[in-house]
Amino acid sequence: MDKEEILKEARKTIIDADKGKAEETAKRAIAEGMDPLEVINKGFRAGITEVGDLFGRGELFLPELILSAEAMKGAADILTAALPKDAEKRRGRVVIGTAQGDIHDIGKSMVVSFLQANGLEVYDLGRDVEMQKFIDKAQEVSADIIGMSALLTTTMSGQKALIQELKKAGLREKYKVMVGGAPATQRWADRIGADAYGIDAADAAKKAMELLGEG
Amino acid sequence: MEKFYTRMGDGSVIELSESELKRDLEEGTRDAAERAKIPPLSEDDLRRLLEIYECPDKSVGVERGKEVILSYDSGTTKFNRANVSVSKLQSLQIYERMLGADTMEMGHMDYSYKPAKSIMWIEQPTLEQALLITIPALFYGAMPNLGLYTQPDGPCPNPMGLIPQGKISEARAAQEEMAEHAVKDMVYVGSVMYESGADGINFDTTAAAGDAEFLAALRAVEILRKKYPQMCIEVGMAGEFILGMHGELTYEGVRLAGLYPHKQVELMEKAGATIFGPAINTNTDKSCPWNVARAATFTKACVENSHLPIHANVGMGVGGIPVTETPPVDSVSRASKAMVEITRLDGL
Repeated sequence: MDKEEILKEARKTIIDADKGKAEETAKRAIAEGMDPLEVINKGFRAGITEVGDLFGRGELFLPELILSAEAMKGAADILTAALPKDAEKRRGRVVIGTAQGDIHDIGKSMVVSFLQANGLEVYDLGRDVEMQKFIDKAQEVSADIIGMSALLTTTMSGQKALIQELKKAGLREKYKVMVGGAPATQRWADRIGADAYGIDAADAAKKAMELLGEG
Repeated sequence: MEKFYTRMGDGSVIELSESELKRDLEEGTRDAAERAKIPPLSEDDLRRLLEIYECPDKSVGVERGKEVILSYDSGTTKFNRANVSVSKLQSLQIYERMLGADTMEMGHMDYSYKPAKSIMWIEQPTLEQALLITIPALFYGAMPNLGLYTQPDGPCPNPMGLIPQGKISEARAAQEEMAEHAVKDMVYVGSVMYESGADGINFDTTAAAGDAEFLAALRAVEILRKKYPQMCIEVGMAGEFILGMHGELTYEGVRLAGLYPHKQVELMEKAGATIFGPAINTNTDKSCPWNVARAATFTKACVENSHLPIHANVGMGVGGIPVTETPPVDSVSRASKAMVEITRLDGL
């Protein structure tokens, strides 16, 4: 099996949500002397991107997405362990939750699944979360990104308040802030000074990877 | 080069040239056609849409003779949400006498079947009063809102907590249980209000929580239809396709996850619904012409595949209307005209 075939196989194992085959392909790539990062990015991550696209089209469903994410994680663990020590990169860390007063967590939980599927370390604070908890958790785990979701026009102001609080605490430059949810738009994100807005779960994961310089 | 005033899906104003308008209309219809595997709009339809978007008038209207039914959902909550202090009865009178409503809907501010069931004894006399002072068909309506049946607000484990942990069978079982609870509440409220004189019941924003919620609505429709053969049952959707939160649920042998409006309506018709309302979500990153062409494509296929009257959702964030608290009249009137004249639907 040549390099291109291994990359193609890696992509397919994720679309098929076949964890066993994904891990087997990761091991084969290492045995063939391939660059582990290239296999992750051009093979497995290409697969998870396609899974996200199929999910967005209603052609693949949440349970299948989770199985694909598990297959991705299995393969990524094997490949990451094979990286030279000096090249080993810390996984991006995201703290996420819904704004205080907002109990709608379906969208946020889907974003969590997509972020995990892309190999990020996600700290899900759940729903109806006090603003300070986002900041405290981000500080505790040295997060890269804080994500806040809001389904209601009455709770989306929490996104603005988070950014203002980060500024007040002198922490704005330390974290990237992502916002999302039904009433949020790119215009809203620009107006409140957020770093990114995700129109849906797949887009949120894409933007998170871009913020981390891995898009 | 002449530019035409329009908006993005988030309501911001943009100006597009004729070629840019054409491009957005073509891309919008193509997107819908590819997703739902349905025909794109015809050249004639696209030309008509172009005329609508090139019209310099601030607001536009349908041609005489092409008027359709105006049915309003969530009617008695909307004025209050806009901080206008009117009672339910006054809201209904405003819809009837000032907004030209053909059908109206009464509902509880919480607007979900679960909380509504416990206040039926308060809603019944209000409904009676409303029936005595208004003429149009009066529905009682709410959302199936499966989310309210999860802990800590309800009895079932939260599937959205279980799924990310990989507990897929547990999450599926929870959704099936949530659906059973929702069916009971929808049937109870529907029965009470119909027997109190309501002309019909509306299941609004159906399938917001995915395929289990759509199944709950199908079953509730089925039960109510058997119980009350003459009852009008309207089903309005939450989005253009049914999210596969469960993924394996079926009705009459058809997998529910991933169904687009032209297939959703087939099942609702089998279950016994009277009116179907497709909802096509607005993409805030795209222009209104793009969104309207896309919404019209999905809706046209739904109309053509349906024996039921189609009353499409055309309001904030759906049917090509921008996501803004007060949708601008230029966008609302264009989307409405386009949906009526292109898709040949029966009501908005």
